[in-house]
Amino acid sequence: MSSPALREAEPSAGTARETAPGPGRRRRIAMVPTVTLLLGALYCLLPVAWVVIASTKSGAELFSTFTFWPGTGFADNVSDLNAYRDGVYWRWMGNSALYAVLGALLSTCVSAFSGYALAVYRFRGRETLFNVLLAGVLMPPVILAIPQYLLLAKADLTDSYLSVLLPQILSPYGVYLARIYAAAAVPADVVEAGRMDGAGEWRIFSRVALPMMVPGLVTVFLFQFVAIWNNFLLPYIMLSDDEKFPITLGLHTLLEQGANTPALYTLVITGAFLAVFPLVALFLVVQRFWSLDLLSGAVKS
Amino acid sequence: MKLPARRTSYGVKGAPYTFLIPATLLFLLFFALPIGYAVWLSFRKVRVSGLGLGAGAREEVWAGLENYTGALSDSELLNGALRVLGYGCIVVPVMLGLALLFALMLDSEKVRLAPFTRLAIFLPYAVPGVVAALLWGFLYLPDVSPFYFVLDRLGLPQPDLLDGGPLYLALSNIAVWGGTGFNMIVIYTALRAIPAEVYEAAKLDGATPLQTALRIKIPMVAPSLVLTFFFSIIATLQVFSEPTTLKPLTNSVATTWSPLMKVYQDAFGKGDIHAAAAQATLIALATLVLSFGFLRAANRRNKQEAAR
Amino acid sequence: MPYTKRRRLVSSAVAVTLGATALAACGSSSDDGEAQSGPVSLTYWTWTPGMDKVVDLWNKGPGKKEQITVTVKKQASGDTLVTKILTAHKAGKAPDLVQAEYQALPTLVSNDALADIGGNVGDARSKFADGVWQQTTLGTDAVYAVPQDIGPMMFYYREDLFEEYGLSVPATWDEFAETARKLKKKAPDKDLTTFSANDSGLFAGLAQQAGARWWTTSGDKWKVGINDAATKKVADFWGGLVAEGAVDNQPMYTPAWNKALNTGKQIAWVSAVWAPGTLTTAAPDTKGKWAMAPLPQWDEGGSSTGSWGGSSTAVTTDSGNKAAAAKFAAWLNTDGEALNALAKESGIYPASTSAQLSGAFTTPPEYFSNQPDFYTKAAAIAETTAPSAWGPNVNVAYTTFKDAFGAAAKNKSDFTAALDTMQQDTVADLKKQGFGVAE
Repeated sequence: MSSPALREAEPSAGTARETAPGPGRRRRIAMVPTVTLLLGALYCLLPVAWVVIASTKSGAELFSTFTFWPGTGFADNVSDLNAYRDGVYWRWMGNSALYAVLGALLSTCVSAFSGYALAVYRFRGRETLFNVLLAGVLMPPVILAIPQYLLLAKADLTDSYLSVLLPQILSPYGVYLARIYAAAAVPADVVEAGRMDGAGEWRIFSRVALPMMVPGLVTVFLFQFVAIWNNFLLPYIMLSDDEKFPITLGLHTLLEQGANTPALYTLVITGAFLAVFPLVALFLVVQRFWSLDLLSGAVKS
Repeated sequence: MKLPARRTSYGVKGAPYTFLIPATLLFLLFFALPIGYAVWLSFRKVRVSGLGLGAGAREEVWAGLENYTGALSDSELLNGALRVLGYGCIVVPVMLGLALLFALMLDSEKVRLAPFTRLAIFLPYAVPGVVAALLWGFLYLPDVSPFYFVLDRLGLPQPDLLDGGPLYLALSNIAVWGGTGFNMIVIYTALRAIPAEVYEAAKLDGATPLQTALRIKIPMVAPSLVLTFFFSIIATLQVFSEPTTLKPLTNSVATTWSPLMKVYQDAFGKGDIHAAAAQATLIALATLVLSFGFLRAANRRNKQEAAR
Repeated sequence: MPYTKRRRLVSSAVAVTLGATALAACGSSSDDGEAQSGPVSLTYWTWTPGMDKVVDLWNKGPGKKEQITVTVKKQASGDTLVTKILTAHKAGKAPDLVQAEYQALPTLVSNDALADIGGNVGDARSKFADGVWQQTTLGTDAVYAVPQDIGPMMFYYREDLFEEYGLSVPATWDEFAETARKLKKKAPDKDLTTFSANDSGLFAGLAQQAGARWWTTSGDKWKVGINDAATKKVADFWGGLVAEGAVDNQPMYTPAWNKALNTGKQIAWVSAVWAPGTLTTAAPDTKGKWAMAPLPQWDEGGSSTGSWGGSSTAVTTDSGNKAAAAKFAAWLNTDGEALNALAKESGIYPASTSAQLSGAFTTPPEYFSNQPDFYTKAAAIAETTAPSAWGPNVNVAYTTFKDAFGAAAKNKSDFTAALDTMQQDTVADLKKQGFGVAE
């Protein structure tokens, strides 16, 4: 067994350098990734910058000043948002966090179990089960929402936190992702070795495979978190008590004040701006897991 | 002696099924049952008696294939399908191409500011759809858009972004902007899973970074490319939020611009869940054929390559 | 592999069908006896802003006495709320009280979602104009809702700019067209107003003013008259102006439209009594510069107007306390204190005739501080509202309007063709639903 090498190992001296380009060209080539990414970042950040700048504008400034010119009303906007219906916005934020954290955690668990089983074991009906699971994604959520509502109504669960959580726990995307990460990160011989050592299947999964799958599972968690956080249709169908609304729905009611009442534009924009922060924070936390050395878990004692 | 890979042995036969219980249960409850009900609804319709006011005026009756024939002969639905195919031809290559490019850039050795750019490219995913119409209204509408302002000052022609050909670009832009980060992360995580020995071997062979990227990295992340392609096809055929976002801003986007908008309109606007269910089933079947056909082709190619 | 797949499909299909049959068997709950014993708790789905404060008045006052508590749940508005109500009704879980726009009432009644509350609110009839009350009875003996607010239409214009360009306030639509052309000559980059296809209620109101009756009944059948002479007149009029370029063709309620109003690029707006609220948000820089006048008429010396929007309070068939809910609905829309609070907190214009000239409506809205008799004029205009005629598929007509007229406005093409499309699609949908349609 070769010893695992570190990702950032420098090539051994001599052989590589003979074929390397000269110092000037190398520096210019080295800039390519960074510059490309910066251009991409600029493209992606521009509309987000709009949200930031627009949230600093008061109602009067919003439609009259130049789009990217900052305004003066940020503090007012925030206090208006806070005052709206006695701070229901923060309730919405809390609800979103609850749905997303709990939902994504449960979803990651289910995906981990399923992905591991599909990747590591060979059993009858494996591919069929997998294909059927994936096919579940094909039916547009728009049309699933009403039957799901009727189903939960029979169980008297509509307009409850569970009604938004339960349908979002199983994510075929998550299972697929978990499967390919498990297939890549958990070598068969490690599993076999575990069995030879007399470990039960559960121990192998939890002690050996799971740590290896962590970066992939972190991705699954992140995606399901954002998917649940941004989900509009499901809570829209299931909930009628606006104290249980997530932010997406809450902001929507601010926009849809009715045919004859103007939308509360500044509240919506400020609310959207503030809602970006939790996601940014989450992303920053999650990033750490991607630089974990994937093979560190495979070092044999 | 190396044991054969992935052989189930000594009493672990039940294990995979146990691991799969949660997923199966949830699938049955929240996917299979609702899908079944939706398909069942697609074979029914509502019949109204008299003026249709008051109790007992409506009843659900069997409709056979009526909803399906109605859907297939509906020009709105077919036009929508064509539009969406055109839209998909722009979105999928551009979005996945960019995602792959950015993921490769992030993975290269000499990259700087990676954490910042990674976050920045992911950020569009964090902007809630609710805000999108307002946001893109400000960026696309001539009277308020800063781009038109700049073009105006420079004396350059100002195309109407919300009409005809440019409309597809405007819509595609929203999708690409919103989805590239997602796909980039998927591909990037797969790249990080490539063992270091592979790179060592490549370097020993004297491969340049470009060759490493093309010959080694891309083939090794092929499964995740397949994944992103598969889900992009689904997302494209079922496009709903981008045209709905632009609709209030312009006269050029009809309420039924995409097939799924028609489904939504019928289900929620007209309250005709039966016709909507039939249309949705047709859309699902079309997506199934396209995406699984693609998956089958990709798998066959993989097997061929592996056998080489 | 394919064999196992097929077998799975068959068995799962059977299982699913059984499950689905069980689901469908659950119909709406039958209604209850009306004995109210002990405290009653009601839920009210509404989108009117500030409604919870008004409901507070009830809960602490008359509601406390009667032991009826009402909770407000605010979630969606207009058509989207109708869909939620219908979906909830399918599961038998609709709330006790709902807010419904007048044009949605036939759809709701047709789905048996609204209860007849005539027995409990019959005496409220005197508080409303006949034309308004008629919208809640749907031509039957039953009463399905209590009117809450109305939206009589009027003409808003920039007083200062009219003076600047030497324009006079149009009293007829012909004069309106002349004014538009005159403005174009004097200031080619400005528009009198825009024809927008994204709010069907505006066009419906204009057609109403011209005397159109889009849905009528003859015996057991419905008759659709969307392309009747009156509506054709309206469509041709606006189509002509758009084709000429005398008015703009961009949609309302966009950032660009807001800017146009704010910078004076558009100097008038055919709108309804609730316009001050929208103008405050859209065009804050022009506060105090606008004035309100009656809508231009088709005939010299005529006086009629249309209605754009307006909603009512209804009790659902799923409610277990219909009498109590009806009591609250009546109080909300006829009691002086309640209507005052509604005006103050929600900014809506009451349907109740006595309230239109009292309380908050004795002073003009802030945005129109330059027009002290704003509400007196509004009340007089409201009296001239032409009767409306809604049918069971208003939402279909409205959607077709948006698409057909949107395209026509964009291409500056024939509006009559778009109107015919709207008529055909509405008739086709009625037939598809199984209604009998008289030609």
